[in-house]
Order: sequence, then structure tokens, then C-alpha cells
Amino acid sequence: MIALLALLLAADRPVIDLSGGKVQAYPLAIARPLGVQDAGVAVQSALSADFERSGLFKLLDPASFLARPTEGLTGIDYTRWQAVGAQGLVKTSCDAPGGEVKCDMRLYDVAHGVELLHGTYTAPRAAMRQIAHRFGDDVVKYFTHEPGVFQTRIAYVRETEAGKQIVIADQDGASPQPLTGASINLLPAWSPDGKLIAFTSFRDGLGAHIFSADVVSRQIKPLVLMGDFATGAVYAPDGLRFLFSASIDDNTDVYVSQADGSAGRRLTDARGIDISGTWSPDGKRIAFVSERAGTPQIYTMAADGSDVRRLTFQGNYNQEPAWSPKGDLIAFSGRDEHRIFDLYTVAVDTGKVTRLTQNQGTNEKPAWAPNGRYILFSSTRGGKRQIWETQPDGSNQRAVTSERIGASDPAWGPLPPSK
Amino acid sequence: MSESLPPKSVLALEARTPLTPGLVLAVALHVVVFGGALILPRFFDRAPPLRKPIIAKLVALGKPRDPHLLPRKESAPPVAAAAPVSIPSSKPSSAPAVRKREPTRQELMQRALARAAGKTEPRTEEPDPERAGSSTGSAQGTAATAEEGDAYFTAVHDAILENYVVPSVISERERLYLSASVVAFIGPGGQILKHELQKKSGNAFFDQALELAIQRTKLPPPPPEIAKSLRDTGVVLNFKP
Repeated sequence: MIALLALLLAADRPVIDLSGGKVQAYPLAIARPLGVQDAGVAVQSALSADFERSGLFKLLDPASFLARPTEGLTGIDYTRWQAVGAQGLVKTSCDAPGGEVKCDMRLYDVAHGVELLHGTYTAPRAAMRQIAHRFGDDVVKYFTHEPGVFQTRIAYVRETEAGKQIVIADQDGASPQPLTGASINLLPAWSPDGKLIAFTSFRDGLGAHIFSADVVSRQIKPLVLMGDFATGAVYAPDGLRFLFSASIDDNTDVYVSQADGSAGRRLTDARGIDISGTWSPDGKRIAFVSERAGTPQIYTMAADGSDVRRLTFQGNYNQEPAWSPKGDLIAFSGRDEHRIFDLYTVAVDTGKVTRLTQNQGTNEKPAWAPNGRYILFSSTRGGKRQIWETQPDGSNQRAVTSERIGASDPAWGPLPPSK
Repeated sequence: MSESLPPKSVLALEARTPLTPGLVLAVALHVVVFGGALILPRFFDRAPPLRKPIIAKLVALGKPRDPHLLPRKESAPPVAAAAPVSIPSSKPSSAPAVRKREPTRQELMQRALARAAGKTEPRTEEPDPERAGSSTGSAQGTAATAEEGDAYFTAVHDAILENYVVPSVISERERLYLSASVVAFIGPGGQILKHELQKKSGNAFFDQALELAIQRTKLPPPPPEIAKSLRDTGVVLNFKP
């Protein structure tokens, strides 16, 4: 009896519930590179920039490091890294045989003194930043169990004296390469396999129509030449169809077509403008802008055009919807009561609208990263219109492009094929 | 040989039923009653409902916002890299329709001092002298009185929360369902003698963050009435992100 009572009493420990811990970036040290210095420094520089932009890691100041300069990839004195506050440690050792760079990249858990990741990455010397992007994606995948986007590319419109051209660049804005000439080219959209970019162009001299360009060969061919104008192509997640808007007899509607531009079919038939269709990640629903209630608002409908539902009720000018890859949010730009366009998200389930930008110029044309962790947009803050990046809660806003005249209409390319 | 027996005292006990069965019955009944009182509630009482925190935001003084307008951010965004220059545009001017009165130099100075002191605006109201609580209570506390030990557990909660950092590398989705329990044994001086990860979360970085929080926490000495229990039995810390 006494033993039973003792057992019952011992189980009655006081319980304290703790929640609401501060969410902070993971303290990460990137040790000085080993091996060939110029390659190591270049790779680490690109890696540091990737990690800084990610918002996931807090990179520690190398000036504070206490590790011995002779410390290699093994025999690490973890206490010295713990002393500077590191929880993770990255070490790099690069070699440069011939025209390529080969790097041994490692990630360590400082608290437990164990190696977490270890890989050898090779790239041509001219593209050695790709080594950093590949290792960076592996690190992000290790921590978050979600794919990283450091190897992805973006497309946007570069403004030039001669017009507007479509440009492809790395996700961080590096290595921009023109895809088109400089007539008036707008609204690029990637195919899901990353091989094609559809865009709106005035190149045929007959108004705006939709063309596609092969990303590798730069070959351009017409996709939709129907109506007074056709614009805003967006590929379906399966890549077999694309949405666009076309104006026929002064009535602008959302259409769907086969990937080769054939079999175009109208999805909306309301009076007034229906435009800017975008797919849900499962391809079953479409978000679009409609003026059917008097002001431009975001609506959704089934992929066959049925079951139309109004999603936004706040503001009197909401446009440019972009459905998140996770499916829960739609980003859009809306004009507030001061007649300034800013970025917002609306929750698909609840209709709750959250503001992402404010008092920082005009902010428009949101485009999601394929992992849903970031949004590209164009912004006039800083004077010129450039491409910026934000996290979906509005934090960690950073400039991506620094074009001489300006940049707009960003589109984020797909994830690279998995190995 | 006959021996005369002394007369029986009136106080002498009569030969009656033996005591043993009655005693056994009484003891058994006591055991049943007390045992039942201790054990039966564990079978019939429903587990107390989980205490969910109610997070309330203080409503700012001002006019209600028109629900048809797009929302404003609650906190001001960071300053742009450079001041935007006006770009010729067909869009209407961004100037608000009604201009606010410019604050005086004195008001600006007061605001700056308030910001330096960690306040957004200078407080003009005195704290409510009628508010019931404890001088050792938590600023976030809501109870007016405390049970024995509650004040100390509040201090433990606040001290650990101060060091409780969730790494941002844990995805938002994973944060929704992560939870872990740690049993901490606290010495008479407030030192954490040892801690045991009773229930792992399944995410090594979250578990590591909890251990770091406990290692970094300095606790005050527990009150004498619960010191032995905290040293021998410990306290359960249930963590959620």
C-alpha cells in the first residue's frame, strides 16, 4: 500500500508549459577556405551570399573565430567554435586541376561534434559559383527537409533605351543573359521543365501577342496570335496547358490552350475584364482578376471555368495574383487608400489579407520561389524600378537586380531536376 | 478440594466473540475506503483539459479602420535603401488627402527619449494601483493570487523562456506539431542538477535548442517547502515552438 502511494505521488511532478520561443536564424560559422585560395574564396563568397539571403542562417564574423589556422577538415576543436557561438560549421577545401574547380564541402554540428554533410562538388572554373549553390541547397534540404532554390534561375524584363527585353539570370541576379531583343517584351513565364519561357511581345507589329523562347537555343516562335491582343501566359503545373488573357470584340477574358498554343478555349464569360489567370499548385483551380463586381478583385474558379468564388473584399484595385507552391496563399498587388500599389497575400481558406510592403515606393508583380519560401517582386524604392525579394511574411527584403535603367516582371524558374 | 473463586468484578470483561475478525474487518474497510478515495478518481476523473494560452493584443487607441480598406502593417517597415525619387507616372499622386500636423520640437524630443527608454510613446498614465498580484509576479501574469510554489514556477518559466530560441531552419510547417518534454531536477541553490529528455520531438535541432535553453538558464533558489521535491522528483518542462 505504501509503495503504491509513493508511486502515485512520484508521478505528480509539477508541469510547466513553454511555448513562444524566439525564432532566430541558426548561428553558422564558415571557416576560412583550405586548399587553392582564389577558388575557395570565390565559392565561399557565393555560399555566404546564398545563406544571408535565405534568412535561415546567421553567419558569424570570421574576425571572431578562435580556431587554429592549421585546423583541417578533421581533428576539429569544437570547443573553440562553441566559444564563438557557432552551432553549425562549414569547411571548404578546393582544388583547381585543369580548367575546373573541385571542392570538398562539409557541414558539422558544433554542439555534438559530428559531421552532418560531406560532398565533393565539381564545376568549370567559369561556373564555380554553382558549387556554392549546390552545396547550399544540400544544406537547406538537410535542415528544412524542403528543397533549396540557390540553383534556380529567374527571368525578368530589363528596360533599355531601345525597349524592354527578357533576361535570364541566376536566382541572386548574377550572370544576366538576354533571351530576346529589345522590342517591347513583357510578362515572362517559365514552363515547368525550365526549357521554355512564354512572354508577351509587340514584336510582330500587330499589337501584343504571346510567343515562346527556347532557353538554350534562344529560338522564338509564336504561341497565340488571336484577338486584338493576347497576354499573360502562365503554364499549368503539368506543362501541358497554359492560361492567357485575350481581348476579342472588346471583351477581355481568361483562356486556356494546349502547350503548343492550339485549341484555345475561353474560361470566363462575365462582362468586363477578366485577366491574369494563375494556376493552383495542383492545377485544379485558377485565380484571376475580374471587374465583374465593379472594381478589380481576385477570384478563383475551377480549372474548367465553373465554381467562381470571390476571394478579396478589401481594397478597390487588386491585381496580379500568384498562387503559392504550397497552395495556402495567393500573393497579389493592391492599391491602398493612398493610391499606392503594395504587395499582399490572401489566405485561400480564410480570405485573411496580410500586407507585405508599405511606404517603400510602388511594389508590384509578385512571383513565388518554387519552394514557397520567397517572393520576387518589382519595386521603385531606391529610385529605379528593380527586382526585389521578400519572405512571405514581408521580412528579409533584399534587392536582386541592379539594372542601369530598370527591371520589372519577375518570374522564378523551376527547381532543377533531382539527381 | 474445593477452592472458592473470588467474586467476579463487575468491571471484568465477559467472555465474548474474539477480537481478531472485527479488527481485520475494520482495517480492511479502511483500506478499501482510503484506497478507493485515492485510486478511483484516477479512473473516473477526466484528464484536465490542456491549457491553451489566449494571446490577446492590446488594441491601440484610435479610430476603427474601415474594414473595406486593405490592411496596414502593424509595425513600420525598415527604411528603404535610398529615398525613392518621383517617377513620372499616370498614376495619381501618393500624397495623403489630409496632412497631419507636424510635431513640435518638444514632442519630437519626448518621442526620441521614449524610444531610447524602450517605449514607443511616453506614458502618461500611472500604473493601476489597484491591480492585484505579487511583487515577484510576471508582467504577463493574469492571476491575482498564487498557490504554494506558483511564484517560483513562474520564475522558472520566465527564465527558461528568456533563453528559449527556436532555430529558423525548422520549417514553419514542422513548427506546428513539434513538441518535447524535459524533466529538470533543480538543486537548493537553483542550479539545474540534471535534465532528461523524456519525450523527443523527432527533430534533432529542436531538441538541441531545448537543451541549450536549459543549459543557459540561471534559476533562483527554490522556496524551502518545494526544494526537496524539485531536487528528488524534478519538474516537467513541456516545450512547443
